[in-house]
This record gives sequence, C-alpha cells and structure tokens, in this order.
Amino acid sequence: MSDYAVLQVDKLRKIFPLAGGRRLHAVDGIDLTLHAGETLALVGESGSGKSTVARCVTRLIEPTAGDVRINGRSIRPLDSVALASLYREVQMVFQDPNASLNPRLSVRQVLHEPLRLHLAMPRDKREARARALVELVGLAPAHLDRYPHELSGGQRQRVGIARAIAAEPNLVILDEPTASLDVSVRGQVLALLRRLQRELKLAYFFISHDLPVVRHMADRVAVMYLGRIVEIGPTAEIFERPAHPYTRALIAAAPIAQWGVKRDRLRLAGEIGSPVDPPDACRLVGRCPLEQPSCRTAEPALLTVANGHQAACPITLGQSATLGQSALDRPMPSQTAA
Amino acid sequence: MTAALLSIDRLSGGFLGADGGIAPVLDAVSYDLMPGQLTAVVGETGSGKSLTALSVLGIQPPAFRRTGGRILFGGRDLLSLDAAAMRTIRGARISIVFQDARAAMNPVFTVGRQMADVFRLHHGGSARHAMDRAIEALGRVRIPEPERRARQYPHEFSGGMAQRAMIALAALICQPSLLILDEPTTGLDVTIQADIMTLIVELCRDQGLTACLITHDLGVVAETCDAVVVMHAGRVVETGSTEQIFTAPAEPYTRRLLAASQLGEPV
Repeated sequence: MSDYAVLQVDKLRKIFPLAGGRRLHAVDGIDLTLHAGETLALVGESGSGKSTVARCVTRLIEPTAGDVRINGRSIRPLDSVALASLYREVQMVFQDPNASLNPRLSVRQVLHEPLRLHLAMPRDKREARARALVELVGLAPAHLDRYPHELSGGQRQRVGIARAIAAEPNLVILDEPTASLDVSVRGQVLALLRRLQRELKLAYFFISHDLPVVRHMADRVAVMYLGRIVEIGPTAEIFERPAHPYTRALIAAAPIAQWGVKRDRLRLAGEIGSPVDPPDACRLVGRCPLEQPSCRTAEPALLTVANGHQAACPITLGQSATLGQSALDRPMPSQTAA
Repeated sequence: MTAALLSIDRLSGGFLGADGGIAPVLDAVSYDLMPGQLTAVVGETGSGKSLTALSVLGIQPPAFRRTGGRILFGGRDLLSLDAAAMRTIRGARISIVFQDARAAMNPVFTVGRQMADVFRLHHGGSARHAMDRAIEALGRVRIPEPERRARQYPHEFSGGMAQRAMIALAALICQPSLLILDEPTTGLDVTIQADIMTLIVELCRDQGLTACLITHDLGVVAETCDAVVVMHAGRVVETGSTEQIFTAPAEPYTRRLLAASQLGEPV
C-alpha cells in the first residue's frame, strides 16, 4: 500500500471552445482528494460539471489544465498503452446499464473481457473468476448465459458493477449508479456497493444529484455549481451545518419521505446560470437570496468553516462569525429513518 | 361523505400476447379521487399505476384488453363511451401532464401556438384572444417574459420551463375538473422539482382542481398530497390519508416501500 491518495485532482479545468471565440467553463479549477477505502460524493444539478469531472478523471476527455493523479501517478502524460494499464486501477459504473452493456455480449463475455485484457487470465481461470464475480454481486451462475435484454434493470446494474470490480481496481467511479432504478432495487444496489467497498477496500468517487442517497453512502461530500466546488466537508457536517447558500437550497429542495418534516425554506431564484465566459464573481449571483454587492466583484475562494469543512461564501461565513446564532444554525431536517 | 369525482371500480385487464392469450397486469384496481383533493398513486415500475390512469383517458396502449371493471366519472362509465363522447371529456374535463414535457409537445410549433390552438379547440374565439390567454397562462406559472417565451419552440425551453408550460396548458388552458400528473417531476433537478410541486399545489388550490399525482417518489408525496393509493403488481395494496400512510402503514408492502424510500435498513 502506498502513501499516495487514491485520487488527487489538482486545479482541474475543462474548457470547451464555442463558436465566436466564446468559452464554456465546464470545470473551472477544482481540487479534490480521495483516500483509500473512502467514499467522496460529488453533488450538484444538471449542468454543474460533475460528469465532466468524472470523464477527465478517467481521461475519457482531455483536461484543459490541471492535473489528475491516480495512486500517485499523473494520468495526463500517459499514452494509450499506459492508459490501458491505468484502467486496471480505476473503473467506472455508469448511470444507464441499458446503454453501457453491449446488447450482443452475454454476461459471461462481458465479465471475461476485463479478465483477459487486464489480468491476462487463461480461459479456465476466467470462467472460475466470472462465476465468483456474479455470486459476489448477488446473481447466480445461470445469469452468465443471459444477454442484457433478459435481465431486469437492477440485475443489469449488478452486471455493470461486476464488470467494474473484475480487474480488482482500488478506485471505482460511480456516475449516478441508482438514478434509473426503483427505490426497493436502489436500496439493494446501495447495500451491495457498501458490502463490496468493505470486502474489497474500494474507494468510491460517487457522482449523484440524489441527496438522500449521498447522505447514506458518502464519507465526505463536495458540492459543485457551474464548474466550481462551492462547499466540501464530512457528510454529517454538510447536511447538518451547510454553510453555502447553494448547499442549503439543494438540501431544502430534496424531498423527504416522512410525515410532518419541516424544511429550511431557502430558495434560489430561477435556474442554473450559463457556464459560458463566466464573469469574475460568485457564480450564484442573481439567484442567491443572501447576495451582497461584494459578491459581484470577485470570485469567492473556499474558506475554512470547521475542521475539513470549507465553503466559498464570505457572506454566510462572516454572518456566522459575527452573529453567532445566524441562519446557518437553523436546524436541518433529519433524514434518518425512525 | 361526499361523492368521488372519479371512481375506478375493480378495473382488470392485461396485455394481448402473440398467442392470443392475455397476460394480466391489472387485478381489480379500485380507488376514488375525492373532489378538491390531491391524491397520489404511488408504486414501482410495473405496478400498473400509469396504465390505470391512461385508461381513464382512453389512451392506454393498443395491446391492453380490459377484462372487467368500470371507471365512473361524475356518475358516467367512461369505458362505455364512444370515441366522440370521449373527445368531449378528454382535455376539457380530464387533462394530463406527462413526464417529459418537451417530448409531449410538438417540436415544429411554438409553445404559444400549441397552447392557443388547444384554447380555441375547447373554448373557441379568435386566434388573437387565444394567444393572449396562452401568454397569460405562461405568466401565471411564473415563466419570465411570457410574450417572448410564447414565440419560442419546445427545444428552446429547459426541462423545468417546459414542464411549467405543460402544466399551464393542462390546467389553465384546458380548465378541466380533473388533472392527472404522470411523474411530472421525474428527471428534473431537485430545486426545480420543488418549485414545480409548489406550483401544482397552488394551482390546484386556486382552481379548485381535483388532481391525481402518479409517482414512484414518496418524498414528493409526503408534503403535497391529501391522500395516497399504494399500488404493487397490478393491485391496490393500501389507500389512506397521507398522514395515515406515512405514520401508520398497515400493509407490509407499504412499510417496505417507505423504508426503501427513507434508505432505512430493509425490513
């Protein structure tokens, strides 16, 4: 075991050039660290840039600037051969198992492929490993002969998970892994992911917009808005004492399946802004109920709220420092089941 | 006890297979929608919740065969009406909001034009008057700059904006007495979802609408609905007030669904 973080993202930027010289800042200078065996969740609305981060981390797209290190090794200078070896260490589970499984490959073929390519296993060993893998994800050996269309949504996602862990990576990127599943199946898949994490010592980079799921799964949470990390910290800290207005609005909007829960009513105006040529100002300008003139003059940096908890809002942080019992300290609804 | 606006009475049916047999999907489904209430029909994929609602409007998939039951709306059995009689009900008395509003709208006409056409179909009047009503309706669902938005096409709307326009069309242009909402917030971001649900509740209160919210998301239900119908595998498992379903669920399936939604340990 090395001393390196499993994943180190350093000043990562991805800018897509548009017609007319305009530039779309999808990811605009973010730093993240993910340690062995840990789950870091990246949350935000559609268009916040979460999936672009995931694609940069796996180098499915080329970052514009900054660095990504996986187990201490920078992925930016890697050629295609070296990248292939990188994918032994990092694997991905996609949102839509219908689209991410080849309809013409049986489950056996899907699972044999990474074993052959990454581990160069001979056929008989591959078969034994494939059987072990389907059982590990809660399927039966009989499923090896099935094709994706013969499986339910939950079973397909289990196959996607088995494929991801086949080559024994230590980092798995989960891009909305339960977004297309029914709630009862969602619970089973989340339980499976937690068990696999314990047994195989996996680190999860968990991308989701589903806050109850994030609260259930993550050790730490990073909140992303228009290409920037606006708040990051331990899960309990983020949900119980959110410091950034955007985090508070997100938590306030998430529906809770319980009777009589009163929510913090902080609401943002309008919809997510444009990531094209953003001005040097807070990205929440125009939507934020706490906005001050100073918010329009500079992009706020991440400030420390508590140990390991940072937020990019000088307004709420200033308030909490001077007012003590500010809006920040209002109790947040508990989402733990009774 | 007031009379129900809509009563689904032991509706049964299934899909016609290639061999001529019928694979059952609805098994004696019964529930009532009480006037002025927002009733949620919750269930997972394949529970029959959408199929039942589509049958109310007579827009179920062609392979569906009813094997029994009635759907009573204001005392009349909708399933006994012919196509012409059904057209006087569909839209005018009962209208529906679908999950993906951009897909539900016609991509080659402006949003305003589609709304104005529907207005004229139901209420007549001049094109100018109808367009004014469309713009007014867009304003009432809090779409900024409704005049400009009315001249845009569905693809120029975000998902949340398109759903607002769809709700304006179904509730304010059609002016029905019953509004069916089939997963109206699925696929939208949570902040947008919360705004859309607030809008639905306000419109129903203001217009005195009876509404039926079909959803898999119990979180959305807890804060907004008056009554809940829980469906599973083509049957109604449990019905009750929202408070009753959330605080004292009687059926094991309801308890399991609640636990799964709250991400508690599986029962």
